[in-house]
Amino acid sequence: MSRRRSPEKRDLAPDPRYGDVMVTKFINYCMSDGKRSVSESAFYRALETVKDKSGQEGIEVFRAALNNVKPSVEVKSRRIGGATYQVPVEIRAERRTQLAMRWLIAFARTRPEQTFADRLANELLMASKNEGPSIKKREDTHRMAEANRAFAHCRW
Amino acid sequence: MEERYYATGRRKTAVARVWLTQGSGKVRVNDRAVDEYFGEAVREQALRPLVTLGLQNDFDVWCTVKGGGISGQAGALRHGLARALVVANEEYRSPMRRGGYLTRDSRMVERKKYGQPGARKRFQFSKR
Repeated sequence: MSRRRSPEKRDLAPDPRYGDVMVTKFINYCMSDGKRSVSESAFYRALETVKDKSGQEGIEVFRAALNNVKPSVEVKSRRIGGATYQVPVEIRAERRTQLAMRWLIAFARTRPEQTFADRLANELLMASKNEGPSIKKREDTHRMAEANRAFAHCRW
Repeated sequence: MEERYYATGRRKTAVARVWLTQGSGKVRVNDRAVDEYFGEAVREQALRPLVTLGLQNDFDVWCTVKGGGISGQAGALRHGLARALVVANEEYRSPMRRGGYLTRDSRMVERKKYGQPGARKRFQFSKR
């Protein structure tokens, strides 16, 4: 890739049901083989399942889940004088949502339910209550950062 | 016969021919209803020009779209719709332009190059 300039950020169209750009992003990120309509219908079905199960508005649960999974610090490897240190760094907002979405989808995919919509629904529900594998992932990340706090001054 | 406004719209390899008449908001694409032809999200994109002007219920749309995929066809319809609206009433030009609906999106599929399996992808490199 050319290193002259960083690529321009493209704006996404907000999704038609909730008018939320985050939803579009999430749907795109669920997509495999360029099949957007499949991931779209799976996502909306998941939100409906969430509503049936919890009685809360699906979109609210989605927002809560996304927020709960967002990490605030992570560790990066850095070599100083031959030794590699795990340096904790703060994460910028964009990467936070990115990581949160990635984890939610990754852990949803590993769940035992029959369809992706169900898997996603349950993962979202759990995450919105601060439990489940994606929340655990966030806590692991935070724990790593905390354990390596001593190297925080190596930030660059 | 009542007045019809015609315009062509293009996006990627899709071409849309759009006829507008005064009416009540019925939209037909290739002789099917929009709701049936396009999925929710894409339809939203295609009808954006009418929605921006708040005219969803003032015009009937009849159009044919050829070529391309779902997204390209929706884009072509959007382009054609915007241009037809301008033909109907010149005052719509500036709001349409502001929304960027009158600009032909010039992005096309990048050509495949020889010596490579795709436009950008390279064959695996083996040193020996």
